[in-house]
Amino acid sequence: MSGVELDGIVKAYGALQVVHGIDLNVAEKEFVVLVGPSGCGKSTTLRMVAGLEEITEGDLTIDGRRMNRVAPKDRDVAMVFQNYALYPHLNVADNMAFGLRIRKMPKAEIATTIADVAEILGLTPYLDRRPADLSGGQRQRVAMGRAIVRHPKVFLFDEPLSNLDAKLRTQMRAEIKRLHNRLGVTSIYVTHDQVEAMTLADRIVVMNDGRIEQVGTPMELFNHPANTFVAGFLGSPPMNQIKGVLTETGAKIGNTEIKLQGAINGHAGRDVIVGIRPEHVTLGQTAETSSLPIELDLVEPLGSEALLHARYGNDNMVFKADTNGDIAHLSGVEEVHVPAHLVKLFDAETGRALALGA
Amino acid sequence: MSDRNSDFGGLPVDELVAKADAALGQRKTRVRDSHWVRTWDHFRREWQIYVMLLPTIIWFIVFLYKPMYGLQIAFKDYSIFRGVANSPWVGFEHFQTLFSNDQFIRAVRNTVTISFYNLLFGFPAPIILALMFNEIINATYKRTAQTIVYLPHFISSVIIAGIVITAFSPTAGIINTIISWLGFDPVYFLTQPEWFRPIFVGTGIWQEAGFGSIVFLAAIAGVNPSLYESAVVDGANRWQMMWKITIPSILPTILIMLIIRIGNIMEVSFELVILLYQPSTYETADVVNTWVYRQGLQSGQYDLAAAAGLFNAVVAFVLVMTANTLSRRFSRTSLW
Repeated sequence: MSGVELDGIVKAYGALQVVHGIDLNVAEKEFVVLVGPSGCGKSTTLRMVAGLEEITEGDLTIDGRRMNRVAPKDRDVAMVFQNYALYPHLNVADNMAFGLRIRKMPKAEIATTIADVAEILGLTPYLDRRPADLSGGQRQRVAMGRAIVRHPKVFLFDEPLSNLDAKLRTQMRAEIKRLHNRLGVTSIYVTHDQVEAMTLADRIVVMNDGRIEQVGTPMELFNHPANTFVAGFLGSPPMNQIKGVLTETGAKIGNTEIKLQGAINGHAGRDVIVGIRPEHVTLGQTAETSSLPIELDLVEPLGSEALLHARYGNDNMVFKADTNGDIAHLSGVEEVHVPAHLVKLFDAETGRALALGA
Repeated sequence: MSDRNSDFGGLPVDELVAKADAALGQRKTRVRDSHWVRTWDHFRREWQIYVMLLPTIIWFIVFLYKPMYGLQIAFKDYSIFRGVANSPWVGFEHFQTLFSNDQFIRAVRNTVTISFYNLLFGFPAPIILALMFNEIINATYKRTAQTIVYLPHFISSVIIAGIVITAFSPTAGIINTIISWLGFDPVYFLTQPEWFRPIFVGTGIWQEAGFGSIVFLAAIAGVNPSLYESAVVDGANRWQMMWKITIPSILPTILIMLIIRIGNIMEVSFELVILLYQPSTYETADVVNTWVYRQGLQSGQYDLAAAAGLFNAVVAFVLVMTANTLSRRFSRTSLW
């Protein structure tokens, strides 16, 4: 089983500890995405798995074998780097063959492998071109090709799409997903882009300040964020988070009471943070919604939907609304309606999700 | 008239032409600024850069372009009393004299030979040194080693020559002391023609290889670190990384430095030769520049010396052009 297990992994540079005990199990064939803001330790963690950084404490196991003291070449992992790391003096075929030649694979076998992988990645017409003569997307594909030809047990991706423009990124994202479905190789993917994380991952690991905040499937994390950090990190625009106080029937934010679903009895008077996802509000009222009066500041049309930037008291909030082809009707919005079953509650002190409300 | 109307929707041709003219008149005509207007605009916008450039331009004019006026004495029977302008033209007479002069031919042969050895041994030395420095992991050791090998560059050629003369001295020199310890007779290195070239080339390497390695170290520092990381994951060892990544990555720098070096092939370090050679070693040590110095300044044959200098410059120009063209054709790297 070519899974990856990180057990209490710590990374320190002298007295400075940057990764504080990561515990993570990546199952065989699983696609796990490490996501978090810059400096959260996700790339360092990946580099420790690759063997490019020494592990200060903890155990790394790949395919059941402890890898802490094993050289990168013997870990049977292949890595795709952010800037592709293509050898500028070699053509596409030689770039892809580099690792195979180092491992002294027979020439005929190298040629067959390169031809096969080039075919999969649509690189056959470019095999004799140098990286400088390729587009960003093609370079990215070569970088992936170089990893694939090795037939490794684990793929490691370090923000491989961050140098591409938005359109190409979307395209390549889909290609990576298709490729993973086809090859079924265990993959660990690092990104700071939550859209990439949501779309690619079987499971997402949200990291912050060298620690794991939450691990789960994309929808688990989106629907049930463990804390305010995860709630604010996943989702675009992020979840609105407003300070409030629990009452007998709901949560009071400012002068408005938001109805909640679930067991809140006995918690009245507790300080909480009320989380409302921008896309969860409606413009029409129903029996299950609470009205939240807002001061509309700005309407940003996105096509089928629009972003409503608004103020509620001293809080800035963003909501999403359908345009139905026109935004004229949105300029007069004075209140939004919050469905009781979709409101999230977090402890005001710790920021942890409360098992109250939804 | 009916023919004139038939193809244009019934409108008379004259009327159509008038309409077209009116339409064209309404269209804005785009005027492209002349080259000079754009240059002047650029100059006004970026004048500070040109001011900074001025000292260099003046230096070039005063020290490199103005002396070219004096080059004409290579084709004249020059007399310092008549001056450059009034000396009579003699065509290629001095060049004929040069090429029938055995000493000059010997000087050319020595220049080319010493330069060839310099290129063969002296050119790779800083590259090898830079590659070796790059492999040193301990920062303190690396810094100390670098300082030690850079140092000779900052020492005057006179002192360098003094050190060499002392080191190879048959009585007190360290080399001959070691030779004596080994039971051999002392060797008069600097008076024997066969030893001049190895000593000269070796001294040049000792003096300049360290400082020359800075350019290659800078080029190595510019290599994307991900390339090495990727190679590590692929299983390459340090030796393979040096051959397959470092050297190919700094190849453009190596080629540029080689072109410059080839351009200077006729410029053997004049001071060091003057300081190290003596009549007994002229046979292998006398180079074009030292020959020019003796003929021009010591014997007062300025016109002949100018002809030799011009020959030197033309050969260097042809060499650098050829090297540049070849490099551009085969490696996409060139000086211009």
